[in-house]
Amino acid sequence: MGVIFESEPELEEPYLVAAWPGIGNVGIIAVDTLREAVEARQFAEIEPWDLFYPHAVSIKGGKLQDLTFPSSRFYFQRVGGKDVIFFIGEEQPPSEERMYQMANLVLDVGLRFGCRRVFTAGAAVALIHHTFRPKVWAVPNTERLIDEIREYSHATLMSDIQGEGKGNITGLNGLLLGAARKRGLPGICLLGEVPIYLSSFPLSYPKASRSVLETLTQSWGIQADLRGLDSFIQEVERNIDELYQKIPSLVKDKIDQLKQVSHISPEEKEPITEEDKEKLMEDIEQFFGRKGKD
Amino acid sequence: MTLDHSLKLHKKPNLYHPSLLVGWSKDVGALGAGVIDFVNASLKTEQIGEVEAKGFFSLSGVAIEEDVIQFPQSNFYCSEERNLIIFKSDPPVLEQYRFLNSTLDAAKYFKAKEIYTIGGIVSLRAHTAPRRISGVVNKEKLKSMLAEYDGLEVNIDYRTPPGERPTLSSFLLWMAKMRNIPTVNLWGEVPFYLGNAFDARAGEHVLDFLNRRLSLNMDLTPLREESEEQSGMIGKLRGQSPEVGKCIEMLERGIMLQPEESERLRREVMKILSQRRPPEWS
Repeated sequence: MGVIFESEPELEEPYLVAAWPGIGNVGIIAVDTLREAVEARQFAEIEPWDLFYPHAVSIKGGKLQDLTFPSSRFYFQRVGGKDVIFFIGEEQPPSEERMYQMANLVLDVGLRFGCRRVFTAGAAVALIHHTFRPKVWAVPNTERLIDEIREYSHATLMSDIQGEGKGNITGLNGLLLGAARKRGLPGICLLGEVPIYLSSFPLSYPKASRSVLETLTQSWGIQADLRGLDSFIQEVERNIDELYQKIPSLVKDKIDQLKQVSHISPEEKEPITEEDKEKLMEDIEQFFGRKGKD
Repeated sequence: MTLDHSLKLHKKPNLYHPSLLVGWSKDVGALGAGVIDFVNASLKTEQIGEVEAKGFFSLSGVAIEEDVIQFPQSNFYCSEERNLIIFKSDPPVLEQYRFLNSTLDAAKYFKAKEIYTIGGIVSLRAHTAPRRISGVVNKEKLKSMLAEYDGLEVNIDYRTPPGERPTLSSFLLWMAKMRNIPTVNLWGEVPFYLGNAFDARAGEHVLDFLNRRLSLNMDLTPLREESEEQSGMIGKLRGQSPEVGKCIEMLERGIMLQPEESERLRREVMKILSQRRPPEWS
């Protein structure tokens, strides 16, 4: 297992931003949109065969042509005077051991080029309504970045949401930053909010990706054309609205209680209780479970 | 050569560039395992090694099947007389690349000249239709060799449909290509409603090919009897159940069944086949 380099770009203290598929595909949509917008060029790829089970086999005339694997590619571009390495993973490895290996391979590439900071992007399942603009939960891997995060508009620290600033980040979005911390590399995980009632659907949620990108570009002090993402957001919004119209009014009333949640500070009482939350999820699951059987 | 530490070979048999047969225990129509069991029994093979389960299977507990505790098995067998190595294994659930590399390490260690994997593919045809077998190769020269055998399809085109994954045998075929080991995936068609029951008729076709190709000289009579018994049981069910009869007749006429009809047919046939005693060689 290793990294195959197509070229060795000369980069000056680059940032590294990484994403994999996850809830709402929030992170991967954000990072891939930016990668495309700045026309970043591929320069390396992680060898996939011992990390992943293959995607597809291709046979022609009775002879094996190819076996394709999930890709894990590195790109680079100079963005607003700053060199950036983009990493896009098509899939997360299936075991913890392999995930940790991948995290370190990604960091190896970053450090090889003198990387100074790492960013990951993903989703935060939140008690918000889908008509709201999602906020971004920003989680650093070093205390030194907390003050900087406080300056970001529309981003929030865990302690602003959950009092003690505790929680966990599943998968490589968190693991990469943990491994980076161990190796002395500062980094921030940006998590775009996804409404709790949409989080279990196989649905992309690009509105949260846009929020993540706004925070990311603000952090880097750059401008990027995100209009391509806006048409995707509108398409998904239409699909969600259609789905929403089909929900029974009792369940919809519960969901609409989330409209009262614009911002919760730790001192404030949530407008819906844990019991309400559980009931809401039960009602939604029951509704969609029944729909599935129709 | 250095062998992966998971590969344990207890004996170095006296072989000269043997062929290696590979079959997985979980397979459509139990074809891989059924064929391997028949070869093992017919040739009275001896176990010569294994790939250890640790690292490739979940060992946080054990499965129970038909009242009995199971444990993952990945064993090598050998027939010196027929110059043959056999590998029968549960399909690994973790680290498949490393597992298959261990299998190929063994092939290299024994200087295997060719590998044949055996597997079933789901067919929508009736059980009364002739079974077809096909071969997929990783080297062009194997294709012309396979073309010499009657009843073997050697020109299939295929691409994994979206949402599905390649089989372990396809993964092995690719890895063997990377390691320059000529390999053939043999695929036998199994009517969908035979489910997990060993399809003796498909097995017979595969074994007939192996007999001819590898000069194994196995007597396939017990398999033919098994196949006839299986057909007889389904034929009897067909006579007793108008619904089953109608479904099979539709398949014979090339008419697709509705999902619920397919499911009912599969359930009824599985019920009747599960009453059958296991063949002596299994």
